[in-house]
Amino acid sequence: MIEVRGVSLVYGSGPSAVPALEDISFSVEEGEMVAVVGPSGCGKTSLLLIIDGLVRPSAGQVLIAGEEVKGVRRDVALVLQDAGLLPWKTVRQNAELALRLQKRRESVDGVLAALGLSGFERRFPAELSEGMRRRVGIARALALRPRVLLMDEPMANLDSLTRERIQNLLLDLWWEMRFTAILVTHDIEEAVFLGQRIFVLTPRPARLREVLENPGMGSHEYRGSPEFLERVRVLRRILGENG
Amino acid sequence: MKQALAYLLAVLGVVAAWSAISYGLFWTKGRVILPYPWQAAQAAGEFLPTLALAFGTSALRFLVALVISFFLGLPLGLALGFEPRLDRYFSPLVYLLYPMPPVALLPFLYLAFGLGEVVRLVVVVMALFFQVVVAAQGAAKFIPASHILAVRSAGASRWQLYWHVVVPATIPSVLTAARVSVGLGITMLYIAETKLGIILPPHQALGRFIEFYTFRGDTALAGAVALALLGLLFYVVLEVLERRLCRWKYVGVRGGGS
Repeated sequence: MIEVRGVSLVYGSGPSAVPALEDISFSVEEGEMVAVVGPSGCGKTSLLLIIDGLVRPSAGQVLIAGEEVKGVRRDVALVLQDAGLLPWKTVRQNAELALRLQKRRESVDGVLAALGLSGFERRFPAELSEGMRRRVGIARALALRPRVLLMDEPMANLDSLTRERIQNLLLDLWWEMRFTAILVTHDIEEAVFLGQRIFVLTPRPARLREVLENPGMGSHEYRGSPEFLERVRVLRRILGENG
Repeated sequence: MKQALAYLLAVLGVVAAWSAISYGLFWTKGRVILPYPWQAAQAAGEFLPTLALAFGTSALRFLVALVISFFLGLPLGLALGFEPRLDRYFSPLVYLLYPMPPVALLPFLYLAFGLGEVVRLVVVVMALFFQVVVAAQGAAKFIPASHILAVRSAGASRWQLYWHVVVPATIPSVLTAARVSVGLGITMLYIAETKLGIILPPHQALGRFIEFYTFRGDTALAGAVALALLGLLFYVVLEVLERRLCRWKYVGVRGGGS
């Protein structure tokens, strides 16, 4: 479904050029959910923006459904860090935003209900808790019924209870809607809970260091199982070696 | 209710201070320099039809100038602030022209626009236009990247980007700037209505009304009060507009509604 082929990214040019990504290749199967982890500031977000078509790679290419990504695709949705809600729009208007920009008239009631936001449609983001704001951000992306969902640390800086709730919710939605997903995170437990495979990146410039198989994921109960804890330990060790 | 009481107290305070100054000047100079509030009120009553017409005409003139300034200044300011390339080439030009007082250009202005209504509007617009441009430009420069990304990742066109992000993100600071520039605008209006209003009858401009009755202190003063009230009117209108258009800004904030 998603094929990343030899993608490199360099910021700037000449002697002040900063390499951010170096020759990254991987592929994600249709309906698969993978996690991308790596140290902070290693270029995970840049990679996601390249897959979304918002940033052009310096070298290499990305293919989605067999077509080269040359700009934003309508079947790909992006969930931003801190949700990226527009403060002047209500919950409903924010959730509808991506749909309406694409001149689509579908209702967002179903998605809002699925994310537990019914009854808050007329509130502004400033009136919501941080956890609710993140869910609105997810609702905005899912309202598009995307084939591919890209998520940039959607649960970062949440308290652990809220984070686990949203992780469970995301897992349920993935089972229900069967989208292909790439989740960028720096949270080890989150990567193991939600990633069928986990791509580990090196510090800047980011290269693909290792791919960790994680076949046990898929249920709420996975969290806390011995197998889960074992995967977490392995992943922590790999990341620790990065220094 | 509390608000109304506060306004009533403010009016009483102004009247008291005004009376005190009038009395102080009378006492030190030995003759009436500044007429008392009630004398001005009496004069206002006496000239009420003329004064009311002058107020209405000036208000309309100011409103037209304000609308034109927004219409021209907002798109230019937003584009300058949001498009780095335009900013680089055109902002120095704006900064160079911004501090230029239109009053200094009066002779050229009436050579160019004649002595009619147009030139009076031009003077007021020149003052307000730059305020709007500079405020819009400043606000458009500091739009959070995530707001832009959110819209771009959904495939928004440039026009949609402006409509959904740039305009709503900057409206609050532009309206605040406009509110703050009402004082300057009223000053320019007065100048436009006196220096460029010699041929006007007193009921067609507040500035002209004040000038026309220069030698009747109480009447001129009534005109000056009317001009102050005109400024207050626009200040309040812009504030109400800001609260209506930017309701999101006031949710959960001190002094804001729910």
